[in-house]
Amino acid sequence: MSATTYTCPYCRIASDASGTTCPHCGAPTDVRARVTKSGWAEQPPIRDMARLHFNRSTVQISGKYVPVAEMRLDPEDSVYFGHHVLLHSEPSVRLDMMKMAGGWNRMLAGMPLLMMTAAGPGHIAISADHPGETLAVPLPANHAVDVVEHRFLVATGNVGYHWENSGIWFATRNGDDQEYHYPLGQTMDRFSAQGGPGLLLLHAPGNTFIRDLRQGERILVQPSGLIWKDRSVRMHLHFEYPRGNYWFSSARWQAKSVWLVLQGPGRVAIQSVFEPPEMAGGIVNSSGATTQYW
Amino acid sequence: MDRIECQWCKAQNEPERTSCSTCGAPLDKKNLVSDSGWTEAPRLRDMTEFRFSNSTCQIEGEIVPVAELALAQGDSVFFEHHVMLWKEPNVPLSAMNTGGGARRMIGGMPHILSIAQGPGRIALSKDATGEVVVLPIHPSHEIDVREHAFLAGTHSLNYSFVRIKGLVNVLHGGSGMYMDRFVTGGEQGLLLLHGYGNVFQKTLQQGEKILVEPGGFLYKDSSVQMNTVQQSFKTGMMGHHNMYLAEMVGPGRVGVQSMYVHHGSE
Repeated sequence: MSATTYTCPYCRIASDASGTTCPHCGAPTDVRARVTKSGWAEQPPIRDMARLHFNRSTVQISGKYVPVAEMRLDPEDSVYFGHHVLLHSEPSVRLDMMKMAGGWNRMLAGMPLLMMTAAGPGHIAISADHPGETLAVPLPANHAVDVVEHRFLVATGNVGYHWENSGIWFATRNGDDQEYHYPLGQTMDRFSAQGGPGLLLLHAPGNTFIRDLRQGERILVQPSGLIWKDRSVRMHLHFEYPRGNYWFSSARWQAKSVWLVLQGPGRVAIQSVFEPPEMAGGIVNSSGATTQYW
Repeated sequence: MDRIECQWCKAQNEPERTSCSTCGAPLDKKNLVSDSGWTEAPRLRDMTEFRFSNSTCQIEGEIVPVAELALAQGDSVFFEHHVMLWKEPNVPLSAMNTGGGARRMIGGMPHILSIAQGPGRIALSKDATGEVVVLPIHPSHEIDVREHAFLAGTHSLNYSFVRIKGLVNVLHGGSGMYMDRFVTGGEQGLLLLHGYGNVFQKTLQQGEKILVEPGGFLYKDSSVQMNTVQQSFKTGMMGHHNMYLAEMVGPGRVGVQSMYVHHGSE
């Protein structure tokens, strides 16, 4: 009997429809897609104990509140991750340090200085230390995504990693104090699958929503709500000043909104937990931005 | 044809509906009431949609829910401006002058609330796990809410704030110096709150009292009096331990949340 082909609406990869979860991203295959009226699709949580396949290895997601990614590594496969997310490992797994360029800049940007690699055979478990969801982002060969810093959990060995300046910043002046703000962080991680498909696991606090932006379509999001985006999605800052009366003159500066404009084409993912940018003072300089006075 | 009454907000619904059109509460589930009379606020189903005026609200997500509002022309909502998750570029924002600026600043409350005007879509979310509590406010009704707990109010609600009476209540009450007060005029309003953890509600009879952890207090009808009572426990020959609790005196509704910071002991 020939298996039916199923294309997962979340990772867009075809597989046979034999299981109840997508073998590439773990999304349930037997539930209806949940899409809001405005077009955001809720990323369904990976079911407890769901198993994903990559290369010759598997990863099983266990737990719902603070999920654990337990990987069974084939002798020919490896993964890398930030050293603070390692939960447990079998002695047969070969752990090593991953060389990272730009250590000084990474330290200044608050990024982890050390990454670890784990090579099979054996089992290893990875967990972020916050409630939320594990997101599986399967990367087709030669495809790249940009990820906001500190969201990365683990990637397969054939996924290339580098980081670059986010290019999103603004400066405020409050009295004599000038302060620089990086609402996305100073850097963004870029992951690209090289020579074949790869798998990227991220951790998102709260719930996750994804949206495919059409060519030229724009949406305003809280900068710290962004999780990842396709490379084709462009972004810049947008400052909005509300209309209205204020009880003292500087309140107009206090009430501004700092948005991140995401412009298609491409996919974006946001989380429902975010940290609003600091608001003190007027904006005196910024990366490329638009402004709206209502 | 029989209509279904929502057990949470008492609105009448068409028989084919599975969730209340006014507050989103599931209609096909019984209210969960504890033996002591606390009703669990209905956990809204993912993607539940309900109406206010000519607009709609859709609740999405279950860990940190998002309230996505589709505002019709002429409708608006107000909120603390740090709760905006995303919005369409064409939705205008304006500021509501709350008055009492210096006092609000001293009390740690935002001195400006944002107003989003329809038409267009905007999404609001808090920064912690919990649930969205939907409270339709009937005409000529007043409700007091713990500071920073409200997610959004519709345009038919009048907003003010009231100082918590008594220095001991301010110092030991755990609810800050002020409470938000929402009052309706002739039209029904809708109030969205964010409760940390799970939310429970109890309706107190005239003169009925209940003691609650001050950090757990979420909302109350303005007819409910809130006092702070001290309880002293001996911990040895010389030692003692003081504990402060909020005493709620009916009549009216009281809402509490199950995740809180314990403030009231020394």
